[in-house]
Amino acid sequence: MASMLNAGARSDSNIEVHKYYGGTVIAAAFLALVLQAFLHKYGRWSELIDLPLLVTVYFGMSKRNPASGLLLGAAIGILQDALSPDNPIGLYGIAKTFVGYVASSIGGRIDTEHPLSRFGLVFLFFHFHQAIFAVTQRVLLNHSAPFFTLRLLLDSLVTAAFGVALFALLDRLRRPS
Amino acid sequence: MLDTNLRHRPLALLVGVVLAQVLLLAFQIKRDHDVPLIRFWAAELVTPVGRAGTWTSSKVRGIWTGYIALHGARAENERLHGELDQLRLRARDLESQAGEAQRLRVLLDFREAHPEAPMLAAQVIGASADPTSHILFINRGERDRIRRNMAVITPDGIVGKIVEVFSNNTAQVLLINDKESGVGVLFADTRTHGVVKGTGDPEPLMDYVVNDEKVHAGQLIVTSGEDRIFPKDLPVGVVADAAPGSNFQVIRVRPTVRLDRLEDVLILLSRQDVTLKPAQESADTPASPGPAATAPQPAAAASQTQAAPSPPPPER
Repeated sequence: MASMLNAGARSDSNIEVHKYYGGTVIAAAFLALVLQAFLHKYGRWSELIDLPLLVTVYFGMSKRNPASGLLLGAAIGILQDALSPDNPIGLYGIAKTFVGYVASSIGGRIDTEHPLSRFGLVFLFFHFHQAIFAVTQRVLLNHSAPFFTLRLLLDSLVTAAFGVALFALLDRLRRPS
Repeated sequence: MLDTNLRHRPLALLVGVVLAQVLLLAFQIKRDHDVPLIRFWAAELVTPVGRAGTWTSSKVRGIWTGYIALHGARAENERLHGELDQLRLRARDLESQAGEAQRLRVLLDFREAHPEAPMLAAQVIGASADPTSHILFINRGERDRIRRNMAVITPDGIVGKIVEVFSNNTAQVLLINDKESGVGVLFADTRTHGVVKGTGDPEPLMDYVVNDEKVHAGQLIVTSGEDRIFPKDLPVGVVADAAPGSNFQVIRVRPTVRLDRLEDVLILLSRQDVTLKPAQESADTPASPGPAATAPQPAAAASQTQAAPSPPPPER
């Protein structure tokens, strides 16, 4: 936990910003959306994992630039809405915009490299995302979307565990500094 | 300052992106009554402003119309009241003229319906000051060839007779209910003769009808022509009630003419027999039954009159 927080003591000028090969972010986001959209026909297990959220969180924390993080989150969210016929466009977009902004904002303050911290951050971002999503649905759509259920808890745990593995895989796409 | 702007730029961007997506959602989402959310919001945003504007304009208009524009309303009110009074007088005058025109129209129609009987229309200009005498003054006199004992009638029946001719344009009429008056009459249906005498009361009495004679209320009484003043078969009145007397019945007669409301009359310039045709139309009303409805034609009536017992000649 100490290693998680030591990064927060660093000044902004010392923030380590990871760089990736060209097209990596776009390809990863596109792949996440495609898999999220089409994998569910092979089983309900795919609904346990929110791949676009993981990509948003990962690149937000890695880039550590709030502007690019929120724009990436907005883009991924809007595309996810576009691929979800039941959702009006902007529902996931708003939630992931906030996630991207917050992820990139705290990415430079805490250690986001440790698997445990990644698990915890993904878990928290999942529920933060769900909270924004539920508020948006309640306020704008007048739907009674839940803030927390056991199913959401299970989803968040599975997504966090899968996120640790996915983040390790995505780390390999970093351009060496 | 520049550092602050740079630090707050992502936050502003966040607000902008989220706001843009909220608006995007608002265009897609439909709330109650299938109204897009953006329209709902727009209405919610604009309506209070419009309502406030309407309220303000109505208040301003109310102040203007209720206070400022009422400047001079008092003077206008007084002027309008004056106009209203004048118009009321005018309306009353027109009503009076219309009534007069109606009465004159009836008289004119009557005259035109009886070209064989020369007659002259006259207006009632006064009445006797004695409450027990029933005398009228009319605006016709010597200049109009009015003479004593000329019959005075209306389309509803007889009124009385000329008793004095004072000047060129004034004459006196003795009404049939005056205590000095007497008219030779007969029942229109039974042709029983009698004399209608005035008593000073509004309703005269019919005398010389024996107690055996069947008389009922509503029975029409017409002139018999025997008094040489009134032509035959002119309506006089109807029986109001009848009671046996010592020698003759006491029969109260309700005149067919409203003698207390006379304004225009006709003077028969000759004793030519007249059948009151307009009175036929109101034959079903007790106050003014028509002679033709119950009375026979003059020729037939004349033969019946000869067969009937003659009462004593009427007074005066």
